[in-house]
Amino acid sequence: MIRVDPERNEIRALKEVGTWRGKKVLEIGCGDGRLTLRLAGLSPKLIHAIDPSPNLIRAARKNIPSAFAKQIHYKVGSAGDLKYPSDSFDRVVFSWVL
Amino acid sequence: MVHALREAHRVLKPDGLLLDLRPGAVHRRVGIEVDSQHKQLAIMTESLKDDYAANRAVAEIIREGLFKTVSRIQFNCNRTMALTDFSSWLADFPTDRDARYGRLIRIVERAFEEVNGKRKKIVVKGPLILKVLKKIVG
Repeated sequence: MIRVDPERNEIRALKEVGTWRGKKVLEIGCGDGRLTLRLAGLSPKLIHAIDPSPNLIRAARKNIPSAFAKQIHYKVGSAGDLKYPSDSFDRVVFSWVL
Repeated sequence: MVHALREAHRVLKPDGLLLDLRPGAVHRRVGIEVDSQHKQLAIMTESLKDDYAANRAVAEIIREGLFKTVSRIQFNCNRTMALTDFSSWLADFPTDRDARYGRLIRIVERAFEEVNGKRKKIVVKGPLILKVLKKIVG
């Protein structure tokens, strides 16, 4: 198993951005949801997390703890064609994708 | 890439934040950790072309006046893995330098054989960069 950022420096840096509580977040390139779950722990109102790989989205959905089930919405999607209305999100996170 | 950033601008609320989180354009360092003792073995020679292209794309949308930079944070990010996972992890890096990667795998394998210790793992170190940009409306 490959563990990415076991020291959790990434989420510490994201916390420094300011409060996430109550925010609507779009995560682009969520993969299997590794960072999504850490973001969910910062109590945003909602996270829409997309990735172009159906396999990774399936894995992400399988790994979602029941505590976050209403908060996180995983969907297959691409950064170049976001299926969301304008002015929808407080934060957009490009997660290792650019 | 620029198109994706424009899409992000569209879906963000006014004053919304774009967070660009990704590895820095720096070659990663590969080492071995045995019982919490770290020893660096090699530096990777992966292509950084995509990283530079991403930096250019971000610079372009700032020039276009879609976003302004709020902050930039750099920090270390480790990936730890067993020897069996190392080759498959390495395969994710598109490269025309397979011979060099073959050599890197042999260096790591040899180091694994040479050291005693139950808790052996490979550690790949490299910086992550978080850029925070604010949407500009206008």
